[in-house]
Amino acid sequence: MAVAPARGVPAGAPRRRGSALPYVLVAPAVLLFLGFVVAPAGYALVLSVQSRKVSGGLLGTGTTMVFSGLANYQAVLGDVELWRSALRMLLVAAIAIPGTVGLALLFALMLDVPRTRLARFSRLAIFVPYAVPGVIATLMWGFLYLPATSPIGGDSIDFFSPVGVFGSVANIAVWGAAGFNMIVIFTALRALPPEIYEAARLDGCSELQMALRIKVPLVRPAVVMCSLFSALAALQLFNEPNTLRPLSNAISSTWVPLMKIYNDAFVDADLPRAAATSVVFTVIALGVSFVAARLIQRRVAG
Amino acid sequence: MFTSQRRLRLALAVAAALVVTACGGAGGGAAAPSGGPVELTYWGWDPNMDKVVEKWNAANPDVHVTLTNPAGGDQLVSKLITAHQAGNGPDIAKVEYQSLPSLVAGGVVADITEHTAEAVGQFDDATLAPVRFEGKVYGIPQDVAPLMLFYRQDLFQQHGLTVPTTWDEYARTAAELAQKAPGVSITNFDAADPGWFAGLAQQAGADWWSSTGTTWHVDINGAETKKVAAYWEDLVAKGLVAKNPSFSPQWNKEMNDGTLATWISGAWAPAQLGGIAPSTKGKWAVAPLPAWTAGDQQTGIWGGSATTVTTDSKHPAEAARFASWLNTDPDAVSEQVKQINIYPASTAGRSLPVLADAPPFFPNQPEFYGIVKQVAPGARSFSMWGPNVTVTFSSYTNSFGAALQQGSPFAGALDTMQSATLADITKLGFTVG
Amino acid sequence: MTAVLARPEAGAPAVARRGGTAWVPTVALLVGAAYCIIPTLWILIASTKTKTELFSTATYLPSLGLAENVVELSQYQSGIFWRWMLNSFLYAAVGGVVASAISAATGYALAKYAFRGRELLFNTILAGVLLPQIVLAIPQYLLLSSVGLTDSYLGVLLPQLFNPYGIYLCRIYAAAAVPDTLLEAGRLDGASEFQLFRTVGLRLMGPGLVTVFLLQFIAIWNNFLLPFVMLTSEEKFPLTVGLYGLLRHGAAEASLYSLVIAGTLLSIIPVVALFLSLQRHWRIDLVTGAIR
Repeated sequence: MAVAPARGVPAGAPRRRGSALPYVLVAPAVLLFLGFVVAPAGYALVLSVQSRKVSGGLLGTGTTMVFSGLANYQAVLGDVELWRSALRMLLVAAIAIPGTVGLALLFALMLDVPRTRLARFSRLAIFVPYAVPGVIATLMWGFLYLPATSPIGGDSIDFFSPVGVFGSVANIAVWGAAGFNMIVIFTALRALPPEIYEAARLDGCSELQMALRIKVPLVRPAVVMCSLFSALAALQLFNEPNTLRPLSNAISSTWVPLMKIYNDAFVDADLPRAAATSVVFTVIALGVSFVAARLIQRRVAG
Repeated sequence: MFTSQRRLRLALAVAAALVVTACGGAGGGAAAPSGGPVELTYWGWDPNMDKVVEKWNAANPDVHVTLTNPAGGDQLVSKLITAHQAGNGPDIAKVEYQSLPSLVAGGVVADITEHTAEAVGQFDDATLAPVRFEGKVYGIPQDVAPLMLFYRQDLFQQHGLTVPTTWDEYARTAAELAQKAPGVSITNFDAADPGWFAGLAQQAGADWWSSTGTTWHVDINGAETKKVAAYWEDLVAKGLVAKNPSFSPQWNKEMNDGTLATWISGAWAPAQLGGIAPSTKGKWAVAPLPAWTAGDQQTGIWGGSATTVTTDSKHPAEAARFASWLNTDPDAVSEQVKQINIYPASTAGRSLPVLADAPPFFPNQPEFYGIVKQVAPGARSFSMWGPNVTVTFSSYTNSFGAALQQGSPFAGALDTMQSATLADITKLGFTVG
Repeated sequence: MTAVLARPEAGAPAVARRGGTAWVPTVALLVGAAYCIIPTLWILIASTKTKTELFSTATYLPSLGLAENVVELSQYQSGIFWRWMLNSFLYAAVGGVVASAISAATGYALAKYAFRGRELLFNTILAGVLLPQIVLAIPQYLLLSSVGLTDSYLGVLLPQLFNPYGIYLCRIYAAAAVPDTLLEAGRLDGASEFQLFRTVGLRLMGPGLVTVFLLQFIAIWNNFLLPFVMLTSEEKFPLTVGLYGLLRHGAAEASLYSLVIAGTLLSIIPVVALFLSLQRHWRIDLVTGAIR
C-alpha cells in the first residue's frame, strides 16, 4: 500500500510536490489497522465457516477442523437465545441511553445557570465515575445492590428481580457515562455566544424558558453525539452484566450478545460458532450504526 | 470486509509480517536453555500452593517449577483450551475431574501412562477411575471430595434439632427450623455451581454419562436426577431453602450470621469456611450426607482434582514426575493437607499422621478426618464425565438460575440440560447411543 | 469550527456574581454528585472493615481495619496488587502516548494532504469504531499467538495502539487548529514537510492531543476483555483483570471480598488524582466541536 505518489490531486487541495510524508504519517495506523482489525476480522470469517469434529475412539482424541459452509450461521440465526440476548440488550439500552443523555443534559443545563453554588465540586464529582473501570464500578454497585451489604435499601428492594435487573445493569452504565456526557454538553453550552442570553433576558425570559427554548435546541448536535456514544456503548455491553453475574441467579451466561459470544468461545470452547455469532452481530451492529449515523448527519446538517 | 479468501490470506500475512518485524520476536519461548535446569510452568488456583512448589524446587534443582494462577476453577479450563489452541499451554495444570474428559477430547491433556506406572500403584481403582480412560492415565489424582453434610452445631443445639440421616428427615428438619427460627433457612439451592447438584444426583444413582465401546449415553433427565430435582423444588417452593448462589457475598453473609444452618459440601469445605464465614469458627460440624433410604452409605462427589500434563509440554516426563511427587510424596501431601485442607487421593496419604488433627476451623470436632475416612469409600461418581461437560454445566447455571428466578419447574431445566448436551456432543461428531 | 477553539472556562456572565443562590440547580447538582459519590463512599467505609466484620456489622458503620486490609492486600502473593497497579499505568501511559502519536500523524496527514485513497482510508478507519472488541479479541489472540506475543506486555499494548476515534478527532483538530497559510509560509521559507509537521502541526495540535491521550489512557485503563483474553501470567495483569480474578477466585472457593474491596478503593484513587491534576489541560470541547 501507499507507494504510488499522489496523482490527480483534486483542485483546491494542498498539493505537495509528490511528498511522501502523508504516506509515512498514515503508515503506522494503516499497518495497525490491517494487523489488528482487518486480519482478525478476516480470521473470524475463516473460522466461522469451519467446525470442530472429533474422531478416534470414545474420547475422540483426534480433533480436526473441517469446512462446514454456512452451518454455523444457520445454527446461530436459528438460536432463540441469541435473539433473546439481543432483546435484553435493547431493554438495557432503552433505559441507559435516555438515562445517560437525559441526566447529562440536565446536569449541564444546571451547571450553566448563573448563581449555581458548588458547581465546580458537583461537576467534578459527577465526572469522576468516568475514570472508574466498568468492572470495578460493577463490583461497587454489586455490593450496593446485595441485601447483605446494601446501604441503599437492598433488603427491601430486589435489585435482581426479573425486571429490576435491567434497571440495575442500566444504572451502572448511566453512572459511569453521565459525567463524561455532561461535560461534552456543558462545553457546547459554554461555547454559545453570550449575546444570545442578553437579548433573551431583556425579553424577560426566565432561566427555565431560556434553557428549554434557546439552549437545548442550540446544543442539539452535542446531545446527538452523546446519544451516539451511548448507543455504541450499549451495543458493547459486556463488563457490567458479566461482573454482576456471580452475585445472583438473575443474569445468565448468555445475557447479552457479547456474553453469548464469550460463552460460545471460552466456555463451550466452540470458536467457529463464536466467530459466526460475532459476524452476525457485527453486520447487524454496522447496519444499525450506519443508518443511525446517516440519520444523524442529515438532521444535524439540516 | 474481504470478499475473497485470497485477499484475506494476504491480509493475514501482512499482519503477521507487521507484528514480527515490528517486534522482533520478543515472545518468550518455553524451551529450556541447554545445560540449565528444565523449566516447567504449573497452572493452579489453590492459595498457598506456592509453598508446596517451593519444596519441590528446593529438592529438585534440575527441574524448576513455576506456579501461576491465570484464573480460578471453571475459568482455568477455558484458559487451558484457548492457550492450547495457540500452542502455548503450561506444562502442568490442575484440572477438576469433571473437566478432564473434555480436555482429553480437546487434545489438551496428554496421556502420561508411560511416565506414571509407579505412581499409579499408590491409588485404588475407584480413585483412578476419573483419570484413567480406556486404560490410559491422563492425570494423577490430587484429592477426593465426598459430599457431606456440614451443619451449625450451635444452631442445632439451640433449636433442639437432631442431625438428619435421611432426606426425609432433612426436609422435616428444614420445616422445624423454619418454624422455630423464622428467617433461618436449612440451606440454599445453588444454581451457580453445577458440581454440587451433580454430586447430589450421583448419590441418588444417576449416571449422566456412560459408554459402551465407543458409544456415549447421555442421561441427565433420568428418573434418579428428576427425583433429586423434585425434592429440592419442593423445598424451594415451600420457602424452606434460600435461592442465592453459593460463594456470592450475599451467601457469605448468610453463612456468617447463621441465616443458613447447613451446607452440603465437599470434604474441602473446612479450608473454604475460614474465608467464607470467619466468625463461625468452631461452630460447624460434619456428618455423613443424608441418605435416600436409611442406612444407605452412598454419597456423591463435589470437585476434586487431578494434576495433569498438557500436550504442549516439551518435558512430559519431568512434568509427570512432578505430578506424581505432588500427590504421592508424604511430605508434599502432608503440606497440602495443612495448607489447603485436601483429603488426599493416594491410599497411603489417607493414613498420614497429619490427618490425626482436625482442620483448624473445626476444633470442636477432633474426629473430623475419621468421619471423612469412613464416608469416602461410599462416594460414587458417574461412570464417566462426558466430553462436553462445560456445555452441560453452563446449561445448568442458566436453566436452574431461570427456574429459581421465575419459579418454573426444575424438571424442565433438566430437559434443557439434556438437549443442550446431546446437541453439542452430536455436533462434535461423537457416537451417541 | 469556532466552537473547537472556544475558551473552556470563558463566558461565565457577570450576572453570576450578582444576587442570591439559584437553589434548584444547586440542589439538583448536589443530588447528582451524591449519586456519583455514594458507591465510592460505601467502598471507603467497607474497606475499613475486617474480614469478620464485613458481613456482620451494620453497613454504614466504619471500623478500624483499613490498615489491616491494605497490609493484607499488599502481602497477598508477595504484593502482586501493586504490580497490577503498575501494569495498569504502564499499559495506559505507554499505550496512550503511542496511540496519540499515531493518531496525530494520521489525523494531520488526512487533514492537510490530499492523497489517493484518503477518503476511503478515513471511512474504513471510522468503521473500525463500530467493531466490538470481543469480536476481534479471539482472532487477535490466535494471530498474536502465532508470533509468540500472547501473555506478553506487547500483546496487550499493540492492539490498543490503533484508535479510530483518536484519528477522527485528530483529523478534525488538525483541520481547525493548523492554518494552511502558516504551512504555506513555512514552505516558502524552505521548511521540509516533516519539519512543518513537527514544528507547526504537532505544536498547534498540542492541547487537542492531551485530550486524545487522556481518552485513550482511560480506555486502556478501563479495558478488561483484551488483557483477560491475552494474559495468563498474573504478574502481567492490569488492575481490572487482577481484581476480577480476586472476586472469582476459583470454583467452590471463598472469594477474598475484603481484599477486593480494599483493592477497589486503592485502584480508584490514583486515576482520579491524575484526572484532577490534568483537569486544566483537558479539552472535551474537542469532542463536541468534532461533530460539525
